[in-house]
Amino acid sequence: MKVNNRAKKKTAAILTLSIALVLTLLVGYLSLNGMPLDSRGLYRLLPWVPKPGNWPQSVSLGLDLKGGVYVEYEAGLSQEQIDGGADYNSLLEATQKVMVERLSDKGFSEATVTQIGNSGIRVEIPDVKDPQTVLDLIGTPAKLEFADPQGNIFMDGSYVQTASQSYDNDNRPCIQLVLTEEGVQLFGDMTARSIGQEIAIYLDDQLLMSPVVEAAIYGPVLISGEYTVETAANMALQLQSGALPMTLRQDKLDTISATLGQDALDSSVTAAMIGILLVMLIMVIRYRLCGLLSAWALCIYIIALFFLIAVIPGIQLTLPGIAGVVLGIGMAVDANVVIFERIKEEVSAGRPLIHGVRIGFKNAMSAVLDANITTIIAAVVLLIFGTGSVRGFAITLLLGVLTSMLTAIVVSRMLLTNACRLVKNPALFLCAPKAQVEKEVQ
Amino acid sequence: MKKSALICLAVSLAVMVTALIMSLCGYGINFGLDFAGGLILKYEMGQPFDTGLVEKTLKETGIEECTVSVSGEEGTTMQARIPSLGSEDEIQLLQAALEEKLLAQYPQMETDTATASYVGPVAGRTLVRNAVFSVLLAAALMLIYIAFRFDFASGVAAVAGLVHDVLVMLSFMVIFRNFIQMNSSFIAAMLTIVGYSINNTIVIFDRIRENRKKPASSGMTRSQIADLSVQESLGRTINTTLTTLVTIVSLYVLGVSAIREFSLPIIIGILAGVYSANLINGYVWAAFEDWRLGKRK
Repeated sequence: MKVNNRAKKKTAAILTLSIALVLTLLVGYLSLNGMPLDSRGLYRLLPWVPKPGNWPQSVSLGLDLKGGVYVEYEAGLSQEQIDGGADYNSLLEATQKVMVERLSDKGFSEATVTQIGNSGIRVEIPDVKDPQTVLDLIGTPAKLEFADPQGNIFMDGSYVQTASQSYDNDNRPCIQLVLTEEGVQLFGDMTARSIGQEIAIYLDDQLLMSPVVEAAIYGPVLISGEYTVETAANMALQLQSGALPMTLRQDKLDTISATLGQDALDSSVTAAMIGILLVMLIMVIRYRLCGLLSAWALCIYIIALFFLIAVIPGIQLTLPGIAGVVLGIGMAVDANVVIFERIKEEVSAGRPLIHGVRIGFKNAMSAVLDANITTIIAAVVLLIFGTGSVRGFAITLLLGVLTSMLTAIVVSRMLLTNACRLVKNPALFLCAPKAQVEKEVQ
Repeated sequence: MKKSALICLAVSLAVMVTALIMSLCGYGINFGLDFAGGLILKYEMGQPFDTGLVEKTLKETGIEECTVSVSGEEGTTMQARIPSLGSEDEIQLLQAALEEKLLAQYPQMETDTATASYVGPVAGRTLVRNAVFSVLLAAALMLIYIAFRFDFASGVAAVAGLVHDVLVMLSFMVIFRNFIQMNSSFIAAMLTIVGYSINNTIVIFDRIRENRKKPASSGMTRSQIADLSVQESLGRTINTTLTTLVTIVSLYVLGVSAIREFSLPIIIGILAGVYSANLINGYVWAAFEDWRLGKRK
């Protein structure tokens, strides 16, 4: 009965590993070559893992590697600001800050905003389909004003705490404004006084809507109109980031080529390939069959990570970004190393393989989890509070850590548990029995 | 604190102090275009051109650091970013020399429509301030997490180790100022080390946590437990450092200069991280706890 059971488990292990291998090879092939989705070749699944000399379209690149568009603005002060004796330079800096925020929020964290000359701002954004929409978004003032029934402005955009896209009662896309405490009071008192009358909301001095007040509103304000989800979200973003402190005049809009050539990209992909092969070699030499399985898990990690980078919008890889991914590959092995060392301890202490694997995983788990969670904490903080390239980096870091943790905990474990049912020789599986290990150390 | 740990700490301090003195004497970090800002020269070349050739010409006229890119509908406008030059006169001298050389290659180049304008840094004050603030906040949260999962002394020792690693990176940027410039990729390198180097410390602290629970450790001092834990983790330390260094060194060896600017600080940061995690942090934890709770545990 027992023998029968063991044979059954062995068959199950062979089956699981074979399915995993076929799946890896299949997805791996797709990730490198893509696939036409219909017979006429109109739709195609694009490849997503880079090859030397062939960067896949699905993974977008930043300014340094692909180029993009640049635009130069002339920044000016309004008459009121001049009369008020405003500090030009600090306003220029504030304007740049708002632009960076708007770009980051739209996913263009690798875009750059710099001062040019004495009174200009130069914005460079990576390759996008429709640059003008993006530029409209970042260069538009977005000044919000609320007028009471008599036409007096009683509140402006500075009382808006957050603005987001939402849906109104008729399920149409609208903009939802959450006001500050003071704003809620102001708006509430005014609506309480003006029931049955018309109030007005202006954006950049244009009438946005003039609703009739039906009841006093002490709470979020919904602005509805002819919005799509997209336009409402963009408008909310502009309101959220506040008005641009200066008026901008678009000077030039032009394309700009990559500053680093194709050879920079090719050489780093080649370097990555060599690095990965060396990592796999080291793992196989140090950990034998386990090392081979970790090389397998590493392939799955790479396929999964690039898939995420390709499908999640707002990631443009720059050269340091690619280097970060490559470094992440070196780091992804770390969890495997920690686990293998623990298994090694158990196996060389004379435990049977299958128990060694189980206990090794158990003992390693606290170190793997704590190490990864601290890194995740760092990545999340950078993602929330960072701007520009810091944020772009945080996204790739976060994806890298999450993917590597999952492959280490789920994939490696699955491969190892099944493999140790098939290979009974500890020397082949991971390490020699104890006596021999001690000899090696000395 | 253990003697070896004190010596290691002294070595690190010596590196940092050297860098500090160099900075105070005016030989600080060599800031590249991204941090220092510079000039953008724009020329209408009248025909498609080779950016590599323009770059070479700029180097011949004495501009070592530059990026050349193509823009315009027909791809005939040249934009070159160069470090800022002292005075208007110098810019004009440079432009004259450059024009002469380029005209020989591209006779249709227009010299009267050329512009030279100052650009501010890409990594401006806001970005740097924001990066520093985010890292400090991240460090504080990591400290809280580690204090919660391990103990307060571990949190302090781990985060102090992190600060050590970043300071060593910065110090080497000063000491190697003739070989390497600091551009915005350094921010990415610094963030990478913040995320990576904590792992080394955690793995060793995890051992310490485990060893302290074992009955065998009852007669040992904290410093001895730290010793034992570092030794037991040595296999992992060597293999992980090897696999990480292999990838980044291959980038350094094969990469272009922009990649080297990124990978060299990372290599230094990784080495600093291994150094502090194995030789310093555990003993800082032991010394801190000894001081707080007395020698006997």
